[in-house]
Amino acid sequence: MGLIETAVNPWGQTVPIHIEFYLMWVAAIGGLAFLMVHAIYVQFVAAKASHAARISPALEAQYPPKIKRHSLVARLFHWVMSVAMFALLITAFLPRMGYPFAWVEYHWIAGLVLTASIIFHIFHATFWMDFWSIWPDKEDIQEAKWRFLRATGKDAPEPRKFGKYPFENKMYHLVIVLSGLAVTLTGVFMMKRVRTPFFTRNPYLFGDMTWGMMYILHGLAGVGLIGLVMVHVYFALRPEKFVITKSMIGGDLDRDFYLEHYDQERWKVPAAK
Amino acid sequence: MPAAKTTPIESTHKLVGKNYQTPDLVAKVTGKAKYAEDYRVDGMLFARLLLSPMPHARVVSIDASEALAMPGVKAILTADDLPAPADGMTDLGQVIPANKLADRSLTMEPMYQGEPILAVCAVDELTCAEAIEKIHITYERLPHVVDPFVSLRPGGPNARVQGNVWIRPETPKAVPGQPPPLPPAAQVQELKWTEEDFAAAKDGQMPMGKPAEEWSFGDWEAGLKKADLVLDETFVSPNTSHQPLETRTTMAYWQNGKVYVHTGTQSTAQTVPAIARWLGPNIKSPDDVVVISEYTGGGFGSKITSSISAIIPCILSKKVGAPVMMRISREEEHFIGRARPSVHGRMKVGFTKDGRITAIDMYTVCDNGSYDAQGDGMTSGRIVSLMYQPPAMRMRGVSVITNTSPRVSQSQPGGFQGIVMMEPILSKAARKLNIDAVEIHKINSPTGKAEVGPPVRGKRPYITSSFIREALDRGRELFSWDERKKQVKRSGTKVRGIGVATSAFVGGSIGFDGLFVIKPDGRMYVQSGIGNLGTESVHDCNRVAAEMLGVPWDKVEIAWGHTGRNLPWACPSGGSQTTHAMTRAAYITATDAIQKLQQIAAKDLGGKPDDYVVANERVFRKGGGAGMSLAQAAKRAIELGGIYDGHELPKGINKMTAASATALAGQGLLAVARDTMPRDGLTHSFVAGFAEVEVDLETGKYAVTDYMAVADVGTVLHPHALGGQVLGRSVLGMGHALGQKWVYDQHYGVPLAKRFHHNRPPTILDVPVDMKWDAVNIPDPETPIGARGIGEPPVGAGCMAILNALSDALGDDVFRRAPVMADTILASLEAGHPMEEGLTAHI
Amino acid sequence: MAIIRDIMPAFELFQPATVGDALGLLDQHRSDAWVLAGGLDSFDWLKDRIKRPKVVIDLSQVSELRGIKEVAGGLEIGAMTTLTEVVRNPIVKEKFSILSQGAELAASPQIRNQGTIGGNVSQDARCWYYRGGWKCYRAGGNICFADTPTAVNREHAILHADRCVAVNPSDSAPALIALEAQMVIRSVKGERVVNAEDYFVGPAIDITHMTVLKPGELLTAIRIPATWAGAQFYFEKVRDRQVWDFPLMNVASAMVVNGGNIEKIRIVVNAAAATPLRLTAVEDAVRGKPRSVATGEMAGKLAIVGAEPLRYNGYKVPLMRNLVKRAISGVEEPKWA
Repeated sequence: MGLIETAVNPWGQTVPIHIEFYLMWVAAIGGLAFLMVHAIYVQFVAAKASHAARISPALEAQYPPKIKRHSLVARLFHWVMSVAMFALLITAFLPRMGYPFAWVEYHWIAGLVLTASIIFHIFHATFWMDFWSIWPDKEDIQEAKWRFLRATGKDAPEPRKFGKYPFENKMYHLVIVLSGLAVTLTGVFMMKRVRTPFFTRNPYLFGDMTWGMMYILHGLAGVGLIGLVMVHVYFALRPEKFVITKSMIGGDLDRDFYLEHYDQERWKVPAAK
Repeated sequence: MPAAKTTPIESTHKLVGKNYQTPDLVAKVTGKAKYAEDYRVDGMLFARLLLSPMPHARVVSIDASEALAMPGVKAILTADDLPAPADGMTDLGQVIPANKLADRSLTMEPMYQGEPILAVCAVDELTCAEAIEKIHITYERLPHVVDPFVSLRPGGPNARVQGNVWIRPETPKAVPGQPPPLPPAAQVQELKWTEEDFAAAKDGQMPMGKPAEEWSFGDWEAGLKKADLVLDETFVSPNTSHQPLETRTTMAYWQNGKVYVHTGTQSTAQTVPAIARWLGPNIKSPDDVVVISEYTGGGFGSKITSSISAIIPCILSKKVGAPVMMRISREEEHFIGRARPSVHGRMKVGFTKDGRITAIDMYTVCDNGSYDAQGDGMTSGRIVSLMYQPPAMRMRGVSVITNTSPRVSQSQPGGFQGIVMMEPILSKAARKLNIDAVEIHKINSPTGKAEVGPPVRGKRPYITSSFIREALDRGRELFSWDERKKQVKRSGTKVRGIGVATSAFVGGSIGFDGLFVIKPDGRMYVQSGIGNLGTESVHDCNRVAAEMLGVPWDKVEIAWGHTGRNLPWACPSGGSQTTHAMTRAAYITATDAIQKLQQIAAKDLGGKPDDYVVANERVFRKGGGAGMSLAQAAKRAIELGGIYDGHELPKGINKMTAASATALAGQGLLAVARDTMPRDGLTHSFVAGFAEVEVDLETGKYAVTDYMAVADVGTVLHPHALGGQVLGRSVLGMGHALGQKWVYDQHYGVPLAKRFHHNRPPTILDVPVDMKWDAVNIPDPETPIGARGIGEPPVGAGCMAILNALSDALGDDVFRRAPVMADTILASLEAGHPMEEGLTAHI
Repeated sequence: MAIIRDIMPAFELFQPATVGDALGLLDQHRSDAWVLAGGLDSFDWLKDRIKRPKVVIDLSQVSELRGIKEVAGGLEIGAMTTLTEVVRNPIVKEKFSILSQGAELAASPQIRNQGTIGGNVSQDARCWYYRGGWKCYRAGGNICFADTPTAVNREHAILHADRCVAVNPSDSAPALIALEAQMVIRSVKGERVVNAEDYFVGPAIDITHMTVLKPGELLTAIRIPATWAGAQFYFEKVRDRQVWDFPLMNVASAMVVNGGNIEKIRIVVNAAAATPLRLTAVEDAVRGKPRSVATGEMAGKLAIVGAEPLRYNGYKVPLMRNLVKRAISGVEEPKWA
């Protein structure tokens, strides 16, 4: 059992055509295993977060009771993207799991929505958001190292609190960016191979080998997203993160949560009027 | 609908022109006839081919170790095991240099998908197949092209590394006193047209760039200028596989230095030197090749001298020291079994208002396929120049190499395509000028010693005779042409139309040998080197000799189909040569026998040889009196020896004939001779075809409801066999009208239509139930029996009578390529203009 | 691995004598098993070494799968009944002549002598790319070679294509659907009966199969109810050759006409899509209308709504329109016929 399925093309050449579809189960089981291990770890092993001293009212007074975390536009983007992502995963994998339906059209429409939302997000993030806030920097890596050392009982300096996006969040975003770009870029080209109203179908746009690699990439990113989405949903539903999930709906965090969990230097919030 | 009639074939002869049962008939209809595949020999091994998956590639490496290690696998054969292509030689001893780019049956640079790379020999075919699947070949893919016009475009791919077009350099001038020089071998060069050439052609018209070959006669430009009507039309004829029912299976074994080759070939005697040439140093002389082919399941030009793949079991058998049978599957037959090349043609034809052609300007682009230069494109012009007798004509052409299966002559090669190009124009002119279609054919038909082709050394050659006008008149009457013209044309969703087409091709060669022995048992033992390819000429031609000697047919024994049986040299059974060439050989050989009988009688009974005549199995004095039976004369011939029983042979006969005659010497009166009789003109035969079709306008489907063909083939030799040929070959032509073609995927350059049901040869239900034929039965003046060949001309007539009937029913602008199928008709009727792609090849 | 065709690879051959044994074998070998009926479809695949089953289950010895029985005014036809037997059966001819017409127009006499009704309805697509062994969607790949800018696709689908553009080539299937036939499917688990029109599956749902048969299942019989016995039938097949050719398109209709008006109708077209198409919109539109040329023309136009021709099969659109028209209003024969 390999990772990719090959076919003999009309010239007798062996070319890759797509990933082996059992990999979707591998991704799903992998995702499930991760969240189970994580849940157990958090429940039984991890040291309970030590509550810092009571936040001083002076500090409190500097901030409004509700801290704006996600703008309406950003939230809309997130939910549009998530709907598209679920539609894509369902249309891609449900027929493979033994629930056949006419999936192709829904799949590429959802793909276009995802692609459009990603393009929008790139522009929006570049010009209207704090672009660098989501990318891991040197400090993040240094502190991650410290955290790891401390968690394993080694001696290391105490890391600061997080900025707007914790390191894990930033890493997750990075992986999503990579797999999302892979899946959408290949997906857009793959639309040349099915009937759409946009252009004449032409599966000969690239050679058989190039197409094969594209399908592999699409497939790998696709099954990867099964795991990533599972993990994302899991964290969103965890009680201690639920505040953040709610902020993706309402846009705001409680001032207390902000002051408790975030470093005000690293995530600067406009002061109360 | 008036039914077509026929007239009985009249003959004043005893055998010639009469029906009889051929000696091979019972075996054929009872299944007892043994074809190459039916032979089994002790210890026989089998071979299967590994075919190229790519349309053009170079074999980088072959790893057969795993295959060769399998139990039961005996050997593999690759191109490296084949002898290098050998030079040929003409009868005059001139060397024909070997074509280094020719098909060699196995290759390291496959030129088309399906070309054999190697053969595996094993104890059975299943083992061969399993071994082939264990062979790993690394290919380097090379550029490919399957469409001639794609290759002709600026920057278009070339099918061969050397180029894309066969160019034949000019033949050097003859030196007085020397034999005329051979035309130099064609070379592969690159030829590209310009963007302007392509842009100049309007939609549906064929572009015309620089040609590779050109000839002309008369002032064609002036002819077009003075014409009352000039038509400029483009038409496309299809690629069609020969598709003989018997695939080119061969079994070979070696005994005492001789190779015995069981194969299916059109020509028995001629196959010996052909196989000998391919075997090269594997044999000492052609005498070491014994060809066994008693029955051949069709060839149509694809097995004129067996097939090139026959060499594989021969050489494998030598390599493994056991008999080897290589059966060819239907799909393999599609790849290596040859096909007629498609020709794209554009013609400008001028007409006077009376319908007479003033001039023709013709251009053809031939899809040459991957190997040898195909002449179909240029031959089409030659036949057009004969069939329609233009006073002036220019012919240009180019044969573009493509990475598609090899082509070879198929019944009426080139002539067919010429008829296909020209007939729609003639029909259209008839409609435009309001002239009857039969009449316009007659006006432009050849008669007597009509001229053909371009000038040779300043003078245009001419034919021996043509009675096509008589054939048209006969057909018009028997088909009730004038009555049918008045019929209601359209009713309900159906529309019907009638069509006539004329067709011509070469109808005979000269210069071959005959050999027979009259033995003391009074029977005549005829040796026939003709192939038994289904036309019955292998038997028919001998009827001439029996008739001349007054021997009843049941006292004639014919040896055929096995060159170990002392057969004489004969013509290749192809190009409709046989009936003409071999009735002449039979005539000259019977003349030799008569002279010998007269001499024997004069010696024994007194008087001069001229005092004696031969008839009714006797030689006797004119006006009655002394004589002797042929049996007695045969006995005397043995006693006399020398020239009479074959111990002394005439000069000039072929080496093979001489060897056979020597082997038979001393058994009776031996007659042997070569046809050296004069002939003034080039022999051609003609057919006029008449068809009626009925088209369903709602489905585009049409049915051929009636067909009649009238042949001008000189004296009728054997009516049943002639009828079979006239109608059988008409059906071959109908296939080209009704649906037979090749289909390729242009992107991968590989064929899609590879099986019978894809290629759609016509079935018995696709042709009229009661087709009729007739022959004008007027002897050709340039051959003693008066008989010409028939194989070729019915093809064009069969195809174009139907397509002309179709345009009579539907009008001019429905189709512009053959075959015409329901999709074309329906789509064009729906759109109101031709909907076919004009140029794309293989669709 | 080099490719060689036209030589059947070795496989294990079973020739069960009863349906029970056949089902047992099918259950045992599941997707490794290949069911062999008349062999006309199978042998192509096997000889070309494209489909390489480990096990072939030949049904030729299962006598209970052969024959035509009268059941409650209708018929039950064993799946292994040859097309010739279907064509010649007097009851089929008398009551359900549309089926004998359709079956008689399939292939050639020799093929009909060997080919079975079960095989004819269950046959695989005839797309020459797919049958050529090209690894297309239908063969488990990720491409349709027949729907590319250079593909030659005159015999392909104009409707309901989903990546794959192959068509269903059966001539008996549309007749059976028009007759409201039911397919009896058995496995070791028992029997299920599906309507003929639901027996077929398109590429949108299952791109590698033509029917709903699952591994382990066997089509054992086809039931034709009495519903349409003696109705007015129309069957027409358009093909390139008069024998031994698959349909460019075929049409089957069954109608009950009362007082010149169409009271009940079922109409089916095949070789227009990957499944035989029952034209329910047409049926609804013509029900209650007079059986006339005008109704036929209206039906024809309605039938082709949504048709998407490929490069070389545009003719199929007017062909379908005209065939549907003829299936409703009949064909006008010429005076000279």
